[in-house]
Amino acid sequence: MLKNIKEWIAVFMILGVIMLIGNWIGYDVLPWTALPGIAILIGISLVGLIIHHLLPFQLPSIAYIGIIGLIVTIPGMPGSAQIATYTAEVNLLAIATPILAYAGVSIGRSWFDFVQLGWKTIVVGMVVLFGTFLGSAVIAEIILRFQGII
Amino acid sequence: MSEKAIALWKDWRLHVIVLGIVAVTESIGIFKIPLGPGTILLLPMLYAVVIGLALYFTPLINDKQSINAEPLVFLSVSILIAKFGVQAGPALPQIIEAGPALLLQEFGNLGTIFLALPLAVFLGMKRESIGMTHSIGREANLALITDKYGLSSPEGRGVMAMYIFGTVFGSIFIGMISGFLATVTPLHPISFAMATGVGSGSMAAASLGPLIAAFPEMSETLTAFSGVSNLISSVTGLYMSIFVGLPLTVKMYEILSKNKEKKTVKGSVEYVKKH
Repeated sequence: MLKNIKEWIAVFMILGVIMLIGNWIGYDVLPWTALPGIAILIGISLVGLIIHHLLPFQLPSIAYIGIIGLIVTIPGMPGSAQIATYTAEVNLLAIATPILAYAGVSIGRSWFDFVQLGWKTIVVGMVVLFGTFLGSAVIAEIILRFQGII
Repeated sequence: MSEKAIALWKDWRLHVIVLGIVAVTESIGIFKIPLGPGTILLLPMLYAVVIGLALYFTPLINDKQSINAEPLVFLSVSILIAKFGVQAGPALPQIIEAGPALLLQEFGNLGTIFLALPLAVFLGMKRESIGMTHSIGREANLALITDKYGLSSPEGRGVMAMYIFGTVFGSIFIGMISGFLATVTPLHPISFAMATGVGSGSMAAASLGPLIAAFPEMSETLTAFSGVSNLISSVTGLYMSIFVGLPLTVKMYEILSKNKEKKTVKGSVEYVKKH
């Protein structure tokens, strides 16, 4: 467990540096401006991962991480405004780029499996993604309109 | 686990390569391609996944980097989820108001069954189509089908094919269509933001990015809704598949394939009669 935490911290520091640099190049936010924000986001992730390891329930760790992030920024929580201001300096797209860079590198190994799938699978696969995405948006739209929110 | 994990941060080659990819793609920036009434947005993260994939076939990256990259995707996604979370807090009143929509949009996941299942059956797939089209085919769905049918069953082959397709192509495909659909359909960007939560973390990032780039003035709201939707999907998505998605797919498959059989039988009888 302790080894894991040390490992997580080391990895998060590397990821943090990469994200700060991406945030700087792509979105003109100086690294030291975004540093408190990225540190907070890493802290939240770390706490979520630790809670996930300690608790016996089978909830995915991202559920804890999301809920912690939500709780610490609810208006009225001590420091919530500060946390929201700091983390706003870290552009979401700057977080997403390294994720997909790692994903690309890791995907390489599945490439030959992918090539072996027939064209039919690829057509159906695209329709699966399309249907899920659009279906979900349509239902959301209907209910939001019904409620008069949009 | 811990021994394997210890090697992760030490894989300097991998981290330097990713840093290089980030630096290059972020300096290229966003490209807008107008397509009819809509726009396809090409974001740095889309180039990043393509470059990462291409580098796998160069000597720069070997299997060790590729294997190490997988847990790193998960750890970096957790930072993204934290970002989703801190955007959601300030928007909480708005989210509670939209609560029913967030919960019920899970039913929209069934859209794949009505669109993709008939197509799969039409293209001549058999029980593979059940595994392929009962859901978006991420880890949880792979586990469900494996548990129920086994991975070597036709259903198992189907879900595996969808899983591989989604892994390799999912973030690229969904990243291209999300911005386009949001600009070309009359649906509200918030509805699409909710829809970005349906898949994996990297799919969420890939589909939310173009939405934010297309509607920058709503960026915080969109991130908040995407995050909460992702959270709800991660907790309820599996149960949705178990209790609604999979049974419905099996039922629909039986109806569709029966119809198809009838048609082919009828067709063959006519064929015999004519000659």
